[in-house]
Amino acid sequence: MNADLLSLRDVSVHFSHAGGRTTVVDRVSLDLAEGEVLGIVGESGSGKSQLLFALMGLLAANGHATGQAMLAGQDLLSLSPRALDRVRGASLSMIFQDPMTSLNPYKRIGDQLAEGLVHHQNLTRSTALVEATRMLDRVRIPDAARAARRYPHEFSGGMRQRVMIAMALLVKPRLLLADEPTTALDVTIQAQVLDLMSEIARDTGTAILFVTHDLGVVARLCDRVAVLYGGRIMEDGPAEAMLSTPAHPYARGLLATTPRMEAPITPRLATIAGTPRSGGAMLPSCPFAPRCPDRLPACDTMPALRAHGPMRRLACHLQDVP
Amino acid sequence: MIPVLQARDLTVGYKIPGGLLARPLILPIIHRVNLTLHAGQTLGIVGESGCGKSTLGRALLHLIPPISGQVLWQGHDPASLSPNDLRLRRADMQIIFQDPIAALDPRMTIARILSRPLATFEPDLTRPAQQARVANVLHRVGLSPDFAARYPHELSGGQAQRVGIARAIIGRPKVIICDEPVSALDVSIQAQVVNLLMDLQAEMGLALVFISHNLAVVRHISHEVMVMCLGRVVEHAPRDAFYSRPLHPYAQALKRAVPEPDVAVERLRRGQTLTGELPSIARPPAGCVFSSRCPQAVDLCHQTRPDLAPYPGTRQAACHFVDIEP
Repeated sequence: MNADLLSLRDVSVHFSHAGGRTTVVDRVSLDLAEGEVLGIVGESGSGKSQLLFALMGLLAANGHATGQAMLAGQDLLSLSPRALDRVRGASLSMIFQDPMTSLNPYKRIGDQLAEGLVHHQNLTRSTALVEATRMLDRVRIPDAARAARRYPHEFSGGMRQRVMIAMALLVKPRLLLADEPTTALDVTIQAQVLDLMSEIARDTGTAILFVTHDLGVVARLCDRVAVLYGGRIMEDGPAEAMLSTPAHPYARGLLATTPRMEAPITPRLATIAGTPRSGGAMLPSCPFAPRCPDRLPACDTMPALRAHGPMRRLACHLQDVP
Repeated sequence: MIPVLQARDLTVGYKIPGGLLARPLILPIIHRVNLTLHAGQTLGIVGESGCGKSTLGRALLHLIPPISGQVLWQGHDPASLSPNDLRLRRADMQIIFQDPIAALDPRMTIARILSRPLATFEPDLTRPAQQARVANVLHRVGLSPDFAARYPHELSGGQAQRVGIARAIIGRPKVIICDEPVSALDVSIQAQVVNLLMDLQAEMGLALVFISHNLAVVRHISHEVMVMCLGRVVEHAPRDAFYSRPLHPYAQALKRAVPEPDVAVERLRRGQTLTGELPSIARPPAGCVFSSRCPQAVDLCHQTRPDLAPYPGTRQAACHFVDIEP
C-alpha cells in the first residue's frame, strides 16, 4: 500500500519478571494508510491490547517493545518520553474500553477535554473550552455547551464513550488507537459509535487501529483486518475477503463461532476446542497448533507469514498442502 | 403438567430512601410481567442495559419481593413458604452470573465452592458422598478432577463459568437463571458454554431463563424470546416466529443492531441506527416506552401506552401499529 501513515516492522513486546521474559507480541509487521480502518482481531492473551499500549508508550514498567513503528516518519518505539508526548499531543491518540475508568470523576467534561489542548497546543483555557464544546457537538452529544459543564457520572455509557472519542479527536490525530471501545456498550449504542468512527475516518482522514474480538464489528467498520493469536499475525487482508473466505483454521473457527442472526439454527454451535493461550513462553510451534483441527506434523515449527492471494497474507503450513 | 416457573402480573421495584422532606418511596422497575416456563424449555430475555432484565431474573428467584403479582415455583408462591421450606425449595432455583470469576469466593478451593450448596440443601450427606457429587459435576461440566483443588484465580473465564454452572447444577435444580452468562467470555468460549448448557438441559430436563443484551446469542438456546424495554415486556414469541420477523419496532431495531460478520450486510446497515437517548427507567415516557426512539412513532404513541396484546401464533406485542403479514 502506498502513502502509509503507520508502518510496523517486527514489533515485539516483552515483559520481564522474576521467572524470566515473556513475549506477548511477536514480530508484527503491518501498514496502515491515511483514512484507513484496520481491525486487529484476537481473543484474551492474543497481545492485541499490548500492541496498542506499546505504540502509545503505555506499557507497564516491566514491559519493553522492540522493532520499528514509523508514524509519519518518526519511530514511536525509539522516541524519548518527551518527544513521544509531543507526538501524542499532535498526531496520535487512544480510546480505551471502559470510558468510566478513563475519565476523571472529579472534573467537568469540558475541563478534561480542554486540558489536553492547553497542555499540548498552548491554547488558553477559554479557547480550549470553545474547541472542546465544538468537538462534543461533532460527536453528537446533545446540548454540548451544557454537557461540557457536567461530570462523567451524569452521562450514560454510550455518551461517555462519545466523550472519550471527542477527547481523542481534539488534537486532530492522524492515527487513532481504539482498544475495544464498544465492547462494554449495548448493541444499539455500539452501532451508533461504530458509525461515528467510520464517519471520522472518512471525513478527516484519520487512520484507525481498532482492536476487537468481534468479527461483526470488523464487518461494520474495518477496511482491513489482521487476526492475532498468541502474539502473532495468523492472517491479514481486506475485511471483505477475509470474512467471506478466511484461510487460517483459527480465523475460520472464529467466524464459525461468531453468533449470527441469519444463519440456519444447528443443534449445536460450532466451537473451537481448548482455551485461548495466556502467558507462558513463546512456542516454537504455531501458537494455535494445540487447538487446531487441521494440525499437521509441520506445525511444530512456526510458519512464516506469506502472501496469500491479492493483498492477503497467511501464516499456516496448510498453504503448502496441495 | 405444572410449570416449573411462572410469573403472574409480576411488578417489582426498589425502595428509594427518603430524605428530610421526602418520604421513602418504591420505584417500580418492572411492570406486570407474565411468563410460564416448563421443564426442558429455555426462555430468552433480551433488552438493553437498564431495561430491568436482571431485576426480573432476581425477582424470579425471590431475591427481591414483588410489589404486586406473584412468582410461582412449581405452583408454590415463595412469598408464602415458611423460611425453612423456602430454603429447601431454593435448591430447585439456581443462578449463574455474568462475571464468572467475581462470582466465586477467591479464598475457597473449587471443591469447597461446589460443596457449599450441598451443605445447605443436603446437610445429611456424608463427606465421601459430597466428594463424589463434586467429582461428578466437575466431569459433567467438562473439567478434569484436578480442578477440585484449584482456586478461582487459577482459572480462565471459560473455566470459571464452568465452575459457576457446576455449582448451579450440584443441587439438581429445576430452573437456572443465566444472567448474561457468556458476554464476558471470548467468542470461541461463548459457544462452548452455550453448548454445555444445552447438553445439561437435555440430560437433566432443566428449564433455563437466559438473559442477554444480544439477540444473536439468545437465538440458539431459546425456545421462546421475551424482549424488554424500560421495565416492560414489548414482545414475547416462540423463537422461530420471532427471528423470522419481530413484530415490535424495538425488537426489530435490536435485531438489526447486532453486527453480522458479513461486509455486504453491514454496509447496507451503516447509518441505520437508532437515534435519541434511552430514557431513564425512573422517568419513562408517558406513552409507549420506545416512543422517544421509535422511527415510526406518531402522536398516539407519545400519549398512550399500548398494552401487550395477543397475535396469531401465540405471539404477543405491545405496539399500536403491529402489522401482521397475511
